[in-house]
Amino acid sequence: MGVEALAESLGQNVLTTTLGKLIGWGRGNSVWPLQFGLACCAIEMIHTATASVDIARFGSEAFRASPRQADLLIVSGRVSQKMAPVLRTVYDQMPEPKWVISMGACASTGGVFNNYALLQGVDKVVPVDVYIPGCPPRPEDLLNALMILQERIKAQGITPRQ
Amino acid sequence: MIPETLITEKGVSAGDSWITVGAETVHDALAALREDGYRLLVFLTCVDHLADSSREWPARFEIVYQLRNMESREQIRVRAFIDGDPPRIDSVSDLFPPANWDERETYDMFGVVFDGHPDLTRILMPDDWVGHPLRRDYPVGGEVVEFSEEHATWQTAPEKA
Amino acid sequence: MTDTVAQGITVTKTGEQGAFGGELLTINFGPHHPSTHGVLRLIVDLDGEQVKRIKPVIGYLHTGIEKQAEALRWQQVVVVTDRHDYLSPPINNLAYALAVERLLGIEVPPRANALRVIMSELTRLSSHLVWLGTSGIELGASTMLMYCFRERDTILDMNEEISGFRMHTSYIRPGGVFADATPRFLEMLDRFVNQMPRNIDEYEALLTMNPIFRSRTIGIGRLSAEDAKVLGATGPMLRGSGVAWDLRKTMPYSGYENYDFEIATSDMCDCYGRYLVRIKEMREAVKILRQALDRLPDGPVNVDDRKVLPPPREELETSMEAVIHHFKLFTEGYSVPAGDVYVAVESGRGENGCYVVSDGTHKPRRVKFRAASFVNLQPIERMAMNHMVADMVAIIGTADTVLGDVDR
Repeated sequence: MGVEALAESLGQNVLTTTLGKLIGWGRGNSVWPLQFGLACCAIEMIHTATASVDIARFGSEAFRASPRQADLLIVSGRVSQKMAPVLRTVYDQMPEPKWVISMGACASTGGVFNNYALLQGVDKVVPVDVYIPGCPPRPEDLLNALMILQERIKAQGITPRQ
Repeated sequence: MIPETLITEKGVSAGDSWITVGAETVHDALAALREDGYRLLVFLTCVDHLADSSREWPARFEIVYQLRNMESREQIRVRAFIDGDPPRIDSVSDLFPPANWDERETYDMFGVVFDGHPDLTRILMPDDWVGHPLRRDYPVGGEVVEFSEEHATWQTAPEKA
Repeated sequence: MTDTVAQGITVTKTGEQGAFGGELLTINFGPHHPSTHGVLRLIVDLDGEQVKRIKPVIGYLHTGIEKQAEALRWQQVVVVTDRHDYLSPPINNLAYALAVERLLGIEVPPRANALRVIMSELTRLSSHLVWLGTSGIELGASTMLMYCFRERDTILDMNEEISGFRMHTSYIRPGGVFADATPRFLEMLDRFVNQMPRNIDEYEALLTMNPIFRSRTIGIGRLSAEDAKVLGATGPMLRGSGVAWDLRKTMPYSGYENYDFEIATSDMCDCYGRYLVRIKEMREAVKILRQALDRLPDGPVNVDDRKVLPPPREELETSMEAVIHHFKLFTEGYSVPAGDVYVAVESGRGENGCYVVSDGTHKPRRVKFRAASFVNLQPIERMAMNHMVADMVAIIGTADTVLGDVDR
């Protein structure tokens, strides 16, 4: 193959981009959530993974059982005072970079349960990236939150988490 | 048949028949009822009658046992009133195995001590929790004004009412 | 020397010998574990791979629902009843509503009763579908989840049509139901009832004769009828051991005595028996739905009592009295005569009861939920004894405990 022909074929097949954009694109489209169900919202989280909503369209169908393999912690339900240290441990076990979605009213603010037993918002123990309202939120709400998160991951690029 | 001498009061509330027995004879009374065929303890719980003016209560804590005869489909509720700090009553977990966890829960939530229970420890709250949440003098907790971020944190003792 | 773990549980003595010469090993299972159906924690003593002792540790989802109920007015408590056993909200509503109605001495109209039965049976179906789907995954049949949640989605759509909400409907309230069924709901229900028997055949085709599923469940987790009764098990746990006890038949409520259905039982006493019971119950639920739909009576869906339920919207514009009632109901609420009552209903998991104590004020003195899962979890210690670790998953799965119900 001549040099001209090579250059011509390369011209049709090469994209130039920045490394940050490439990494952001890769990370954003393969967010693996942790399989961590707490309460009612966990059932809607399962709905998100099944056929009618199908989170696989956004590259997040691989719910991992081990925190070591997960990028995303979906806090799906109310967090009790007894569960809070466990939740923090699970979060600490996840490798960087990692993100947290607080799913539903209970995880975000304590919801209808304003009492001694529950943590009034999971953001008191782990940093939260996206909050979803609803009790429980619809599966589509979770998808929407995932898409918001993907936008943020893509914009973040190679820079470490602030 | 449960001896009449054990029963201090009996009645019907909204269609449910109930008897009251003395706190010290509750084990005997339940054993007698068990012999009568009331083999299932549906639940066991406690009611705190602190500052309850609906009637005259013999004591602050009322322990409630709901029993059922699965053959004749009859139900009976047994009440026993106790006081003291901590309030004490005999365990019935040797008669009814499901009472084991129910008594642990009642201990956890109301601080009622069940004498003779094999393993009376907290079941729902963390081990180092202070106080017994379902008592009427325990605050509901949480944030009094929502989103004010002012709330009791874990492991602090509740205010004494 | 003993090692004390959380909650005062004393487990393996260090150096204790197992039957095969090795040391007994204590392992922690949960609270974050994909196959414990939520946040159940088990402390298990293993001899090789055999379970020798098992201690459930619960409370990781303790929500303080009973305390919260004491701080809410009578009609507000309905909202928290939805959330303790989160797979069967309308059935929990029903237990609470029946209890408050008995204290108030009111009787709901026939159409409300029929709608309550319809919602209860739909909920039973959706709850069993979650059980079937997740148990399928745990026992190696991942396809089950997709099939089961397809139908569950249909049921949730129906919930949304009738109550405006997918899961926590708060549809059944003291004094009646939230709203009458819309024509579209009845149409959806009709289509669903016609379709569902074929779907259940599909599930059975995938599992009932599946050799892997059978070898994972037959003979696993045996619970004799006598043990089940003594340990207080209810629901499919009890019926899977051959005891024909179903509150809908034995102590009927909401007009269940008028429907023709059978109590599903199985004499196998093992995980497979409990599976058969649930499949049969789904078929019976469809039968009840068909009868309820065909015989749905006309008339109001709420009691005509302005002290308990708000007046209709259109009356507010013309009647001063209605405005006063509305205002009183939503500021102060209503008072319930002093007394206590226990009402039990059959949920997908067993006997879900509600013990309500009133001191005559506008808030309950005590609301106690008798949780089926809380009691059904205790026999696990006996059922899992001497089984392999992998079988423990099947045993927890077929006990079908909902941790929200266990911890409340």
